[in-house]
Amino acid sequence: MVTSTTPKLDRRPSRSQDREPRRLGFGQRLGRWDVKLSPYLYISPFFILFAIVGMFPLLYTAWVSMHQWHLIGGQGEFVGMENFLHVLQQPPFWKALRNTFSIFLLSSVPQVLLAITIAAVLDANLRAKTFWRMGVLLPFVVAPVAVSLIFGKLFADQSGLINAVLGGIGIEPIRWHADVLASHVAISSMVNFRWIGYNTLIFLAAMQAVPRELYEAAILDGAGRLRQFFSVTVPMLRPTIIFVVVTSTIGGLQIFDEPRLFDQFGLGGGDRQWMTVTMYLYEIGWGSQKSFGRAAAVAWILFIIILVIGLINFSITRRIASDSAPKSRKKQKR
Amino acid sequence: MWAAAAGVTGIALLATACGSSDSGSGEPAADGDEQITLTIGTFNEFGYEELIPEYESLNPNIKIEHKKAATADEARANINTRLAAGSGLSDIEAVEVDWLPELLQYPDKFTDLTSDEVEGRWLDWKSAQATDPEGRLLGYGTDIGPEAIAYRADLLEAAGLPSDRESVAALFGGDDATWDKFFEVGKQYTAATGKPFYDSAGAIYQGMINQVEAAYEDPDTLEITAADSAEVKDIFTTVLNASTQDKLSAGFAQWSDDWQSAFQNDGFAVMLAPGWMLGVIEGNAEGVTGWDIADVFPGGGGNWGGAFLTVPTQTEHPEEAKALAAWLTAPEQQIKAFKSKGTFPSQVEALSSQDLLGQTNAFFNNAPTGEILANRAAAVTVTPFKGPNYFAVNDAMGSALTRVDVEKTDDIDTSWTKFVEAVKALG
Amino acid sequence: MSAPSIPVIQQTAGRGAARAAASRRKSKGAGSDRRPGWVTYAILTLVILISAYPLYFAFLLATSDSGTIAQNPVPSLIPRGEFFTNVERVLSADIHFWKALWNSVIVSTVTAVSVVFFSTLAGYSFAKLRFKGRGPLLVFVVATTAVPTQLGIVPLFIVMSELGWTGKLIAVIVPGMVTAFGVFWMTQYLEGALPYELIEAARVDGASMIRTFWHVALPAARPAAAMLGLFSFVGSWTNFFWPFIVLGPSNPTLPVAVQLLQATYFKDMSLIMAGVTLSVIPLVIVFIFAGRQLVAGIMQGAVKG
Repeated sequence: MVTSTTPKLDRRPSRSQDREPRRLGFGQRLGRWDVKLSPYLYISPFFILFAIVGMFPLLYTAWVSMHQWHLIGGQGEFVGMENFLHVLQQPPFWKALRNTFSIFLLSSVPQVLLAITIAAVLDANLRAKTFWRMGVLLPFVVAPVAVSLIFGKLFADQSGLINAVLGGIGIEPIRWHADVLASHVAISSMVNFRWIGYNTLIFLAAMQAVPRELYEAAILDGAGRLRQFFSVTVPMLRPTIIFVVVTSTIGGLQIFDEPRLFDQFGLGGGDRQWMTVTMYLYEIGWGSQKSFGRAAAVAWILFIIILVIGLINFSITRRIASDSAPKSRKKQKR
Repeated sequence: MWAAAAGVTGIALLATACGSSDSGSGEPAADGDEQITLTIGTFNEFGYEELIPEYESLNPNIKIEHKKAATADEARANINTRLAAGSGLSDIEAVEVDWLPELLQYPDKFTDLTSDEVEGRWLDWKSAQATDPEGRLLGYGTDIGPEAIAYRADLLEAAGLPSDRESVAALFGGDDATWDKFFEVGKQYTAATGKPFYDSAGAIYQGMINQVEAAYEDPDTLEITAADSAEVKDIFTTVLNASTQDKLSAGFAQWSDDWQSAFQNDGFAVMLAPGWMLGVIEGNAEGVTGWDIADVFPGGGGNWGGAFLTVPTQTEHPEEAKALAAWLTAPEQQIKAFKSKGTFPSQVEALSSQDLLGQTNAFFNNAPTGEILANRAAAVTVTPFKGPNYFAVNDAMGSALTRVDVEKTDDIDTSWTKFVEAVKALG
Repeated sequence: MSAPSIPVIQQTAGRGAARAAASRRKSKGAGSDRRPGWVTYAILTLVILISAYPLYFAFLLATSDSGTIAQNPVPSLIPRGEFFTNVERVLSADIHFWKALWNSVIVSTVTAVSVVFFSTLAGYSFAKLRFKGRGPLLVFVVATTAVPTQLGIVPLFIVMSELGWTGKLIAVIVPGMVTAFGVFWMTQYLEGALPYELIEAARVDGASMIRTFWHVALPAARPAAAMLGLFSFVGSWTNFFWPFIVLGPSNPTLPVAVQLLQATYFKDMSLIMAGVTLSVIPLVIVFIFAGRQLVAGIMQGAVKG
């Protein structure tokens, strides 16, 4: 993620590839096998494990999604794409998709902005650095289950702290559970509470890696603090930003714990105003219909949505990563 | 606790085991010389904490592992996942009455528990709930939830209403209590105080719908009839009119944080209270005085909740598990569970036991809760039919009530329309 | 194998560090490294207050009793006196608290160490080694994180019961031993932080691939590894759903045990919050002791870059 921040050392693999085989002349036959096989060996733990705990469930799910399949009753008739078509015709599915994106946007956008801002503040020659950094990360150690319990008390409609405080200064209480947007804000705030500090540290690590020469050059050009931030820091952070966006997209679109625990029923509200796609999946699989087949179809639809968005982000990451490297080199020369 | 249990088992092992070999299976399993570990999965409160060590000391070759889930929902998710995966269930799984029908759809996943020993042990309607169409008994009843009316004597008094147990029972109509009367009293209370009468429309609805024979599904065809049922719609409308137009409901979702807080803030005066609810009220209303309980229920008797012990066929020790389940659900044990956690026994014999009838509850102004609940259990006449879709339809109904009573985002008609749509989507 | 390689590597690494140190020294005088003013501290204090308050709120409820909690939506900022009573109730509740704590320590530690090791190994390979199918495989790794976990539960449970692992800690540890996030993270980091010169120098000196990894890649990965280790540790410490399903309530991890405090008809907030507080304290202690190293690790990364 700090690819572009190390212009001097950054070599595209293709360039070094020309060189490596030449050096290999020094090695023996054994070494050649070592070179050939080692990369695969090193990545194999991930793939072996994924095959068992990831691939099998995925294929199993695909198989299930094309059958009538009751959670307990098990496999029924082969129905092809019928489960997918059924799900896509259900209004609750679209509502869940809307909620998911809404909660995702309300959490990821402020999250990234705040994390960058706080990281920029932390990226100073502070006294008691450790204290501030660890302090920011503190909420991350609280389990989502506990966060939901705590925030449940804060966001309770009548007996909650926030509405009590609002009432104290003469503001109408907010209907945190009844109102669509308010419920999304409340749920997002739980997500943000846990993840802002985490992302701040990721950004901070990347900021620390920005070569100080770039700032010096900017200062020589007469750039102020704010200008430095926008014309040096932010461009240098782009790959990191996209890294954070990719990972939080994937996590955010699967959001489950926080909205499920937002009330005691776990269904997403009377009008399903905060039901997310994974909650919908859970409801038709485990709850009302126990249709494992349809739940599997929802999982695959969600998987494809995330994949498409993730791959778009990922390709942007790679493009920007390679774009910004020469750019920064140019700047440095200046 | 485990150390103690293990110690007991160890000592008992030394002092020659008393084998009770069942059904002459010929297997050494039940002969008492082989150590067997049984697992039992429950949720919430079953009151088994002290019974389990007792059974272990009675049966030295049995060691029991008690797996408790926090909520019935979690227990349900757990059981469903393990049923789907085909392994991992406990030797005994506790099942709540509302989702038992879903499981009864797959009778081959559960051991037939029919036995002469337990014949006639339970109230008829209780054992009927766990009997599949072919007459196999798939669950042993633990507790039931006969409903009475719990009320705040001080708040009723302040509204100029009678407040002692007998007068309150009479106020609601005594043996002939009706829901109309109940709502009428509510209106008097609300008119006098300007405050809501009961906690939640959902709770009142439960009380009423549990008196309907076949509310949501046709018992013969299992077809979902809820959306077309005039009776269901009528109850729905009546409850919500009383709750919102007449402002009788405090508008809480039961179990929510707001609902819990309201106990401390005089949020409402009356609650429908099955036996297990008494502990809930006592915990939430800690330090609040004035709670009492009246021996009355509108529209005849009513039952809310209750559970069963099942023995999944996944178990390796069906005989031993069955024996343990039979022991736990025997009248003597269930009376002990009632004394410890307030789970009211479903066993006929327990209902006439002096031990049970003599129970009083200090928090509820020393009300004779044993006697009141036994009367209430006897008043239950209707066994509502709950089919495989009961849980799902009832969830949709819960949401429909929440939209109007709690969240106030819909009126009665639009919420009903959404309910009909949700029910259609189940098919 | 060939011993002389190490000093060479160290020399090279030393040169890198020296160069970085020099650049830092040079930048000492620059404007951006001056001690910031009070506004910065004020902002940070506000941020920390906001992030700490919900935790303190939980602690406040844990020092109270359920009646008081219900009556006062805004608790007084001064703790009340019931904390140790409530803690005692948590410890004496039938939730296997100490076993759960121990289980959580084992699961989180093993997971964190293993994620760091395997992710660094894979990340090194993706970032710095040349092999066929590298690009597509990396894309595949990222894509795997998009699999919704809720649905994987039934098939995963089938796998675990086939292996006879249900109810055992290994069923929670193994699925988390290497994560796609970790591989992605390490790949991204090492691509920038590990100069090819170092690898080549080691290879020239005849170091085997694994030796090169051990002596060159692993040290270079340390800052990112510290973060990844922390993230993985906390991630498995706070995980609820899978441990709940596969372990069950008799051999729980901490969140499963804490959740069990709600297994009563009456949800006692002061008891539950005492449980929540107890589940957070071990991590806060880890923070206090490991915080300096972690931050130092991150700083070191900055120097290397």
